[in-house]
Amino acid sequence: MEDVKGMLTASRLTEVTTENGSKHGNIWAVGGGKGGTGKSFLTGSMATCLALKGKPTILVDIDLGGANLHNFLGMVKPKRTLTDFFESKVPLRDVVMRTGISNLQLITGSIGSLEPESITFAQKQKLFRHIKSLDAETILIDLGAGAHFNTIDSFLFADKMIVVTVPEITAIENMYQFIKSVYYRKLNNIFKTYKLKTIVQDTWENRSAHNIHSLKDLVAHLSQWADSINHIFEQEMSDFVVHLILNEVRTPRDILIGANLKQICLNVLGLKVLYSGYTSYDEAVQKNINKRESFIVSNRLSPVVREIGDITENIETGTAFSIPRELYNARSE
Amino acid sequence: MQEANDYYELLELTPEATIEDIRKRYHYLKNLYDGESLEIRALGDEFTPEIRADYLRRLDEAFEKLSALYKNEKAIVTPSVKNLDYDLRLRISQIECFTGAVLRELRERMHVDLKTIFAVTRIQPQFFEDVEREAFESFPAEVYLRSYLIAYARFFSLDAQRVLNDYLPRYRAAKDNPAK
Repeated sequence: MEDVKGMLTASRLTEVTTENGSKHGNIWAVGGGKGGTGKSFLTGSMATCLALKGKPTILVDIDLGGANLHNFLGMVKPKRTLTDFFESKVPLRDVVMRTGISNLQLITGSIGSLEPESITFAQKQKLFRHIKSLDAETILIDLGAGAHFNTIDSFLFADKMIVVTVPEITAIENMYQFIKSVYYRKLNNIFKTYKLKTIVQDTWENRSAHNIHSLKDLVAHLSQWADSINHIFEQEMSDFVVHLILNEVRTPRDILIGANLKQICLNVLGLKVLYSGYTSYDEAVQKNINKRESFIVSNRLSPVVREIGDITENIETGTAFSIPRELYNARSE
Repeated sequence: MQEANDYYELLELTPEATIEDIRKRYHYLKNLYDGESLEIRALGDEFTPEIRADYLRRLDEAFEKLSALYKNEKAIVTPSVKNLDYDLRLRISQIECFTGAVLRELRERMHVDLKTIFAVTRIQPQFFEDVEREAFESFPAEVYLRSYLIAYARFFSLDAQRVLNDYLPRYRAAKDNPAK
């Protein structure tokens, strides 16, 4: 027991030194607008990857109302949930449940009792504060579907913001919308702290009059307004980036969709997105979920396992997935 | 130079890219933004004709400027046989066999260093040095040596076929008889 404690302390120390002075574990949030794109599967799998590498990891299923992350870890319904934290004042660390995988723990969302939108701002703040104090190297939050302000705020709270989509037009539409909301909310937050919020809102509401079509135009417009705005923006946004994962890829051409989406976000919407990688479509995934088995642990032969390992590493290091050159060549010929 | 970097960035390439890479990527991106792809259709109204026009204008500019840059680079550093002095032309006409040593001699007489050839051909100077030294062990497969020789010959406006005909038998002989 002492050994375990010692290890935890040691890992805690390395966090503090590597994390630019922030004292909490690295928080990853996974969202993306549309439901059914594989957010929970990927969140659970990435967390498993980190845990298998020996890194203490906690999964938080914040999908209030529809929490089901436990299914991806081979667990039946957990005994304690976030409902106990919110309603019975159970400390968050006591809601943390062990999973069958070493180094991996789970906090599950409330199943049923809380309406998704009924969580108050104060409750949310409290939850975030307590998540920050959890003892783990990495904390992964599964946000579930939707682009409600609640979801967006939880997303912005993370150190690594991760969006999951699939190569289907409906999912991609929602993803664009989600990323735009994230950036808009972020801008609002920045300018609120600098007491400039009304400028952003006014400009956005009258955007047609200013010939503003996107956030890119908005920022350009605001920069013209005053040099200080440009400066504030540079300072706050220079390392702000959304990570993109493309799930259920079926053809080599699909792999490029991720790179194309990144291109389009930058050139049309003016938003910085990093393509972290893709996972192939594999029927075995669904079978595993239905059997309540952890995919990563029980299906090592699937290419998806390696792909998720690569994605996890890319996100950890902030690296972009590098597209094999022959993919571009094949298409242009 | 910062401008050139912006162009490379727009094309998502690095300065190591060849003109062929640039051309391919340019056509790829142009295709992507033609409005038929899934990724573009999902944007809906967001993708206004103005945004499209603005992006394509920047893309065209990057492609034009980079193409010009590569052309100039070649024009400046590639010596043309016609402009060579009489002695050197005479020397080239009298060459009996294009050995590594002969290639080096010609290069030195034209005052071109290996880095300059790299700037145009994007082939590492090390390989040309090995060609000149006839360090045949550096070329496990003939096909690579062949492409370096062609690049080298073209750079100096030499007859590539003749260079290959002279040089490759020496390489093959050495390969067949490594004891030598």
